[in-house]
Amino acid sequence: MTMHAGSRAALALVLLGCAAAAARAQTAPRYQAPVVKDTARLAGPRQPIFFRHDIHAGQDQIPCMYCHYTATVSTEPGVPSLQTCMGCHLLVGGSTPSHQAEIAKVRKAWSDRQPPQWIRVHALPGFVHFPHMRHIKALGDNGCVLCHGDIAKTPQVAQVSTLRMGWCIRCHVERKITRDCTVCHY
Amino acid sequence: MAQTTAPPTSGVRVTYDYVTRVIHRTLGDPGKGYFALLGVAVGLLTIGIICLLFLLRYGLGLAGYSHPVYWAVFITCFVFWVGIAHSGTLISAILFLFRSAWRTAVYRVAEAMTVFAVMTAGLFPLIHIGRQWYFYWLVPYPNERGLWPNFKSPLIWDEFAIGTYFTVSTCFLIMGLIPDIAAVRDLATGWRKKLYAITSLGWRGTNEQWRHYSRGYLYLAALATPLVLSVHSVVSWDFAMAQVPAWHETIFAPYFVAGAIYSGVAMVISLLIPIRRLFHLEEVVTIRHFENLAKLCLLTGMIVGFAYTTEYFIAWYGGPTPEHKAFYYRAFGPFWWAGWTMNVCNWFLPWILWFKKVRTNLTALFVISIFVNIGMWFERFTLIAIHLAGEPFEPFVKAGYNPTWADWGIMAGSFGWFFMWFLLFVKNFPAVSISEVKEVLPPPVRGRHA
Amino acid sequence: MVDGMNRRRFLKVLGVTGGGAAVVAGCGIGPEPTEKLIPYLVQSEDEVPGVPTWYASTCRECPAGCGILVKTREGRAIKIEGNPASPINAGRLCARGQASLQGLYHPDRITDPMARDAQGHLVKITWDDALGRLSAKVKDARGKGIVFLTGLEASSFGDLVDEWMKQVGGRHVTYEAFAFEALREGNRLAFGSAAVPSYDFAAARYILSFGADFMETWLSPVGFQGGFSKAHGFQAGRDAAMAKFVAVSPRMSLEGMNADEWIAAIPGTEGLLALAMAQVILSGHLGAAPGDAGRLTELLSRHTPAAVADATGVDAKTIERLAKEFAASKGGLAVAGGMAAQYPNGAEIVAAVNILNYVAGSVGKTVKFGGDLAAGGAGSFRDLTALLADLAGGKVALLVTHGANPGYSVAGFAAAAAKAYRVAFATVLDETAGAADLVLPDLHPLEQWGDSRPRAGVVALQQPAMQPVQSNARGAGDVIAVLAGKPGTFKDYVQGKWKAPKGQTWADAVQHGGAFGDAPVTTAHLGPDAAKIFPGKPAAPALAGDKGDVSLIVFPHYALYDGRGADKPWLQELPHPVSKIMWQSWVEVHPDTAKTWNVDNGDFLLLTTSFGSARVAAWVTPSVRPGVLAMPTGQGHVAGGRYAKDRDVNAFDLLPGAANGYGGRTFTVRASVDTTRDHRYLATLEGDPREGGESIVELLTLARATGLHAGEHAFAEEPLPEYADSAAAGWAAAQHDKASLGNYATQPTRWAMAIDLSKCTGCSACVTACYAENNIATVGEELVQRRRFLPWMRIERYFNQEEGRPVRAVTTPMLCQQCGNAPCEPVCPVFAAYHTPDGLNGQVYNRCVGTRYCANNCPYKVRFFNWFNYAERGGEHEAWPTPLDWQLNPDVTVREKGVMEKCTFCVQRIRSAEHQARIEDRSLKDGDIVPACAQGCPSEAIVFGDLNDPHSRVHALSEDPRGYHVLAGLNTKPGITYLARVVAGAEV
Repeated sequence: MTMHAGSRAALALVLLGCAAAAARAQTAPRYQAPVVKDTARLAGPRQPIFFRHDIHAGQDQIPCMYCHYTATVSTEPGVPSLQTCMGCHLLVGGSTPSHQAEIAKVRKAWSDRQPPQWIRVHALPGFVHFPHMRHIKALGDNGCVLCHGDIAKTPQVAQVSTLRMGWCIRCHVERKITRDCTVCHY
Repeated sequence: MAQTTAPPTSGVRVTYDYVTRVIHRTLGDPGKGYFALLGVAVGLLTIGIICLLFLLRYGLGLAGYSHPVYWAVFITCFVFWVGIAHSGTLISAILFLFRSAWRTAVYRVAEAMTVFAVMTAGLFPLIHIGRQWYFYWLVPYPNERGLWPNFKSPLIWDEFAIGTYFTVSTCFLIMGLIPDIAAVRDLATGWRKKLYAITSLGWRGTNEQWRHYSRGYLYLAALATPLVLSVHSVVSWDFAMAQVPAWHETIFAPYFVAGAIYSGVAMVISLLIPIRRLFHLEEVVTIRHFENLAKLCLLTGMIVGFAYTTEYFIAWYGGPTPEHKAFYYRAFGPFWWAGWTMNVCNWFLPWILWFKKVRTNLTALFVISIFVNIGMWFERFTLIAIHLAGEPFEPFVKAGYNPTWADWGIMAGSFGWFFMWFLLFVKNFPAVSISEVKEVLPPPVRGRHA
Repeated sequence: MVDGMNRRRFLKVLGVTGGGAAVVAGCGIGPEPTEKLIPYLVQSEDEVPGVPTWYASTCRECPAGCGILVKTREGRAIKIEGNPASPINAGRLCARGQASLQGLYHPDRITDPMARDAQGHLVKITWDDALGRLSAKVKDARGKGIVFLTGLEASSFGDLVDEWMKQVGGRHVTYEAFAFEALREGNRLAFGSAAVPSYDFAAARYILSFGADFMETWLSPVGFQGGFSKAHGFQAGRDAAMAKFVAVSPRMSLEGMNADEWIAAIPGTEGLLALAMAQVILSGHLGAAPGDAGRLTELLSRHTPAAVADATGVDAKTIERLAKEFAASKGGLAVAGGMAAQYPNGAEIVAAVNILNYVAGSVGKTVKFGGDLAAGGAGSFRDLTALLADLAGGKVALLVTHGANPGYSVAGFAAAAAKAYRVAFATVLDETAGAADLVLPDLHPLEQWGDSRPRAGVVALQQPAMQPVQSNARGAGDVIAVLAGKPGTFKDYVQGKWKAPKGQTWADAVQHGGAFGDAPVTTAHLGPDAAKIFPGKPAAPALAGDKGDVSLIVFPHYALYDGRGADKPWLQELPHPVSKIMWQSWVEVHPDTAKTWNVDNGDFLLLTTSFGSARVAAWVTPSVRPGVLAMPTGQGHVAGGRYAKDRDVNAFDLLPGAANGYGGRTFTVRASVDTTRDHRYLATLEGDPREGGESIVELLTLARATGLHAGEHAFAEEPLPEYADSAAAGWAAAQHDKASLGNYATQPTRWAMAIDLSKCTGCSACVTACYAENNIATVGEELVQRRRFLPWMRIERYFNQEEGRPVRAVTTPMLCQQCGNAPCEPVCPVFAAYHTPDGLNGQVYNRCVGTRYCANNCPYKVRFFNWFNYAERGGEHEAWPTPLDWQLNPDVTVREKGVMEKCTFCVQRIRSAEHQARIEDRSLKDGDIVPACAQGCPSEAIVFGDLNDPHSRVHALSEDPRGYHVLAGLNTKPGITYLARVVAGAEV
C-alpha cells in the first residue's frame, strides 16, 4: 500500500518496457501513426485526454500487457494507474505541439493528484463474467484484437464488436469451446 | 333422432320471418339494464388494470404468495377460464356432428363465451410470471443467442394448446356468424349496415355459397372436436407432470376435461338465462334447451364426482404415502374450507339435477350453475395453492397462504374483461343463430300465409 | 490520505463495473449506461483488480479473539473467513464474526464528531473542536472523578487506556453484559484461583455440560465447537468411536439439541447434580481422584443421588448411571456456565462442577489451567454497580465509553450517568453513545490497528483491511494516544508493546495474524473453601424477585448476544439455531404449560418481575422444562441504527440491577405471567417441527454405527425400476454431451457434497457465510412473516417426540441437492434451470422469467424467489442501503425482482478455481474448491469435491455406511450425501 514501493516498481517496469520497445524497433519496420487533423471524425467517445493507442501500441510498440498487465492474471484488465503514464512522461514530453498539449494534461493531472476520468467504452452487463486471463491464455498476448479491434492502429478507442451474447457464442462455437451457461452467467 | 323432426320452439307461431325479427331485436336498444351491466364490467376491468400496474411496478410480492406457495390465484383463474372455454366447442362442434338439433338456439352464446374466455385465460400466465416484460422468451423465435424454449416443459405445451384452441374457436365463431350477419345486414341501417356489410364477407345466400359453407363448417367442426379433449388434457399436465403429491396423477386429463365441460356448461346456463330475459328470447330459447344443458351438467358433474372419489380412495388405499398426507391436508388441514367448498359444489350439488323439476326450473338452474362455477374455481384453488402449502416432502417449510388485494383485484378485472367483450358481442351480433334456428323449423307451406 | 480518497472514488466505479452492484435489472437490455473509469493515482502492488487480497486480522465481535482473514476486492472488504493459523478458531468463524462486515458498512455509522447544542441535540463539530472540548473536560475533571468504561480489553488498547487513566487520575472500568463472574468465583472456591482455564474439548471422551452454551456464546464458541465435534463426531475405527455428550439445563439450547441425552433439571440445581455425581465417583473410587479429594467427603456425603433426586427433578438411578459413565470414560470433561452460572448460586454450581472434574481426575487433562482465557480479566457486574453508585452520587465528572453499551443492558444507567459529562467513542449511535454529550466517530476494528490476548500465550494482531469507510472517523486508539501524549500513532504503540517471540518479525506476525504460542499447563489443587459450598440441605435456590411463581430464564441470543449484534441484518435474519425465529424476540413455553394458560404460538404474554415487565410473544416448544420460561437477550433497542431500533422488547429490563453474592448478575428470576388477547405471526423459518415420517434426518445408535463395516449401507434405498435408472442416466449423459466441448470434454466432473450430521451442530455459521458470499438479500421482519426469505442454506430442526420418550431435536442443513435427475430442470420453459456438464443444477438468473414452476417441482423446497427488487435504491425493501452494498461480492450477480435463485455450490468459486488451474496449466486438485458454507463450518461437517474423482474425499464419504440421500425415493439422484447422525445411547 506504500506509494514509494509502487513507484519504484513502476519505474523498473518503465525501463524494461522502453528496452523492449527499443529492441523490437530495430527488427520490425516501424508503424507510423498518422497525424490526426480532425478528431471529430474519429469513432468512439472523446476522452478527457486524447490518448492515442496507435502511437503508444502501434508506433512505439509498447506491448499491451505493459499497461494492462493484470489482464493476464485477472478477470479484470485494469486501467493503468496515472503513475504508469508518468513513468514515461516524466521524460517524454511529446514531439508536436498537439502531443505536448495532451501530455501536459497528464502531467497536470499528476501534479494535481486528480486522475483523468476516462469514459468507459467496453462494458458488459453485471450478470456476465468475462475472465480476461482465460482468453489471453488461450489467444496469446495479442488476442486483444479479437474483441477490441486493431487497437494498435486506432487513434481513439471505439467499440468494434457488439459484445452481445450471440457474438460470444459464435466464437465459442467456432473454437469448440464450452457453451455452458454457467461459464459466464452466475 | 327425435329432436330433428320436432321443432325446438313452442308458444307463439314461429316463422322464419318471426325468428329474423326476434333475433334482430336483440341488436336494437337494449335498455338501461344492459348499460348498467356493461358499466360494472368496465369498472371491474379498470380495477384489475390498476392492480396490475402496481404489480408490474413493485413485483409479485404484492400478491399473497409465500414459500412454498409459488402458484396461487392467478394460475387458478387461468385454469378456471380455460375450463369455461370448453362447453363452447363442445356444444357447437360435437353436438353439431351428432346432429342434435337443440344446440342451434344456444351454440352462438357458447362459442362467443369460449373465445372470450380463452382471451381471458391467456392473460394470466403473462401476469403471473416474475418478469412479465420477457414473456416473449417463452415463444420459439430465432435469435442471435441461439436460444430456444424448452419443449420438455408442459408450460410450452400449454402455449401451443391454448394458441391452437383460440385460433380454431375464433374461426368457428366467425364462420357461423357469416349468414346471420348477412341476414341482419339487410334489416340494419346506418353505420351498422356498413359494419355488417364488411363482416358478412359478401354473403348473398346463393346455393353455391351455402354448399361450400356447410362443407367448410362440417370440416371445421371435425377439426375442433379433438381440441375439446386435447386442450384441457394439456393444461392438466402442467400439474400431472409435476411431482407434487395430489398433482402427480394419471386421471388428471379426463378429470380436468370433464370438469372443464362441467364448469363451461354451467357458465352457459348462468349467461343464457339473463340474456333470454333481457332480449325476450323466450320463444327461441326454451326450457327444453335448458333441460338439455342441465343434463349435460349432470353427466359431467357425475364424472367429476367420480374423479374426486377415486382421488380420495387411492390416497387412502395407498397407505402412509405423501399422497395420503396431501389429501388429509386437503380435507382436514387449515384450508379445509376450500376443500369442502369444492366438494359440496361439484360433488354433491349436481345430484339434485336428477330431478326433472329442478332441471326445468330456471331459478334453481341459475343458482346451481353459479354454485358450480364457484365450486370449480375452488377446485383449482385447492389443487394449486392448498396442495403447495401442504406439500408433505419438506415438512419444515410448510406455510400458510393469504391472498391479497392484488390477487382479488386482478381476478375481478378478469371477470370485467370477459363480460365486457361478451356484452358488446351480444349487443352487436346475433346472439342466437338465425339460419340454424330456421333450419329446424317446419318449412312454410303454400296455402298457409306466413 | 489523498491516495485513499482517489482509491475510494476509483472503487466506486470498479465496484459498479465489477458486477458487485450490477443488478440484473439491465438484463438483456445490454451494458449499463456510460460510466467513468477513474484509475489509481498510484496502484499499490498488492492490489490487482479482479483478484482478492487477504489480510490477516483479529475478530473483535466478542472477547474470544478469533483470528480472521479479510477478503478484499478492489480495496473493499467483502468477506471474512477464519484464519487457519489461529489456535483459537483454526480457520473457522461463527455467524457473528462473519457479520462484522455489516458493522463496517453500517448505513447509520457516525460520520463526524458530534456534541450537544443549546437544545440538547447532537450536532456535527470538527475534530479540533471535539478534541479541544475533550481535553478541556479532562483538565477540569481531574480529581473530580474520571472513568473510562470499555468492554473486556485484554489488549494494547486496554493498556493504553490504563496508562492514560493513571496520568489523569481516573479509573478504567471494564464491563461485559455476560462477564463470567460465577465462573471465576467458582474456580476460586474450588481451586483458589479465579483464572478461567482453557477447556480441551477435543481431548474429552465424555462431555457433560451444565448449562454452558459453549457452541453459542460461552468464552470461545468457535474453538470449543471445533474441539467438540472432533470428540463427539462419529469416527469409525477410533477406539472410542465418539465421546458421549450430556447436556444438563432446564432449557434445550444448541448444546441440548446436540446432546445424546438432555437432562432438564430444575433451574438452579445443576450444582447438586454435579455433587451427587462426584459423590458416586469418589465413594466408588471410580475416578483417579487426587489425594486431597478426601476433604470433600463430608460435603459429598450430604449429596448422595438419593438426597438430591427430589430437588433436581432427576431420579437417582440416572444420576448414578451418568456418574459411572463419566468416570468410566477416563477423560471426562464437565463444564458449567451459561444459564447454570447465572443463578444466585451460580458460583457454587461452578465450584461443584469443578469438584466433579477434580474427583474424576479431569483437571489438568481436559481442564487446563495455565492456558488461561482472557475472560478471567473481565470486570464484574459489581464493578459496574459501584460505578453506577458513584455516577448517581456525582462522584464522576467525566465518563468516557468505548465498546460497552450499559445504556442498553442496565436499566438505571442512563439516568445515573446523566450527572457526568459523557464522551463516547462509537461507530453507531447505540443507547450509550446516543445519550453522550460528546460523540467521537471511531474506526471499525477492520479499519484500524490493534491486538488482543485471548489466551495466555496468544497475541492476535489486528490490521486495517481497507481505507476507512467514513473518511472523517478516527481510531479511538489514535485519539487517546494523542491525549496521553504518546509519540506516534496507536499503531506505533501496538508495535511498541509487541514482544517478538523467537525468530518472528513484526512483519510476518502481521502477515500471519499474530504470535500463537502455548502456555504451560499448571496443576490445580482444591482451594481452602472447596468444601464450604452448599452448606444447607439440598434444595433448589430461591430465585431473584418475589413476583409470581414461574421461573424465567434470560439467556444470551446466539447471534445478537448481549445486543451488539442487533444492528446487523445478517444476524437479525439468521434463524436462531433453536427457535428458528428471526427479527423478533420470544419466550419459550412448554406445550403443557401453554395448554394450561391456553396460549399458542405468537400469543403475547405479559411477563412481570420485581424489576420490570415485558410483553413478548410466546413460542410453544418442547425444548424447555414445563413451568419454566426462557427468553433471549438482544432485542428491544431504543437506538443503534435502523435495524436494531424499536424492535420488540429488552429482556435485560426484567433482570435485577444489583449484583448478587458473587458479584455477578442474576439472569434467572421469578416472574408472573398474564395472557393477553394480542397475537402476531412469528417471523420464523419453521413450518412443521415434526418430520411426519419423511426421513429427512436419519439417526443411528452408536452400537449400530460401530457395527457397520465398509460396503455395508445402513439405509438401503429402494432400488429403482431399471427404466427409471436408464432414463435418468440417459438424460444426464445427453446433458453432458450437449455441452461437453473444449476444456469440458476432458473433465466429466460431478460436483458433490457430503454432510456429516454427527459433526453438524446446527450452529448456522454456514448460513451467514452463504449470505455473505452470494449476495443474498435480507428481507426484514414483515416479509419473513409472509415467508419471503431467501436462505439458500437453511438448518432444519425437527423435534422427535414420541410418547414416553425423551424429546430429541435433530438438525440438518438443507440446501440445493444439485440432483443428477433434477425435477426443476425439465419444467423450466426457458432453460434457466438446466443441467451443467459438471453436474450442477445451473440457474441462469438473467434467463429466468419467473414462472416458478421449478420451485413447485422441487421436493426439497430450496429455490427462492425475488418477490420484490431488493436492490432497488431507496426501495421499500432495499436490502443494501449504501454503503452496505460495498460488501456485495463482485463475482456474484445481484438478482432482480421476478427471478428465481438458489444455491449453486458457489459456482463462482468453482469457476475461479478453474481459471486459476488453467493459467497455471494444471488440472484441479481435490480441495481446490471450498464453498462458503464448507469453509465457515466450525465443525468441518461439510466436504465438497468431485464425485467422479475416485480419490476425492467426497467420493469416499459418498460410500460411507452411514450415507443416505434425502427423499431418495423420488429418484432425484441428489449430489449431497448425508452421513447419519450417531447417538451414543440405547435408543435414537
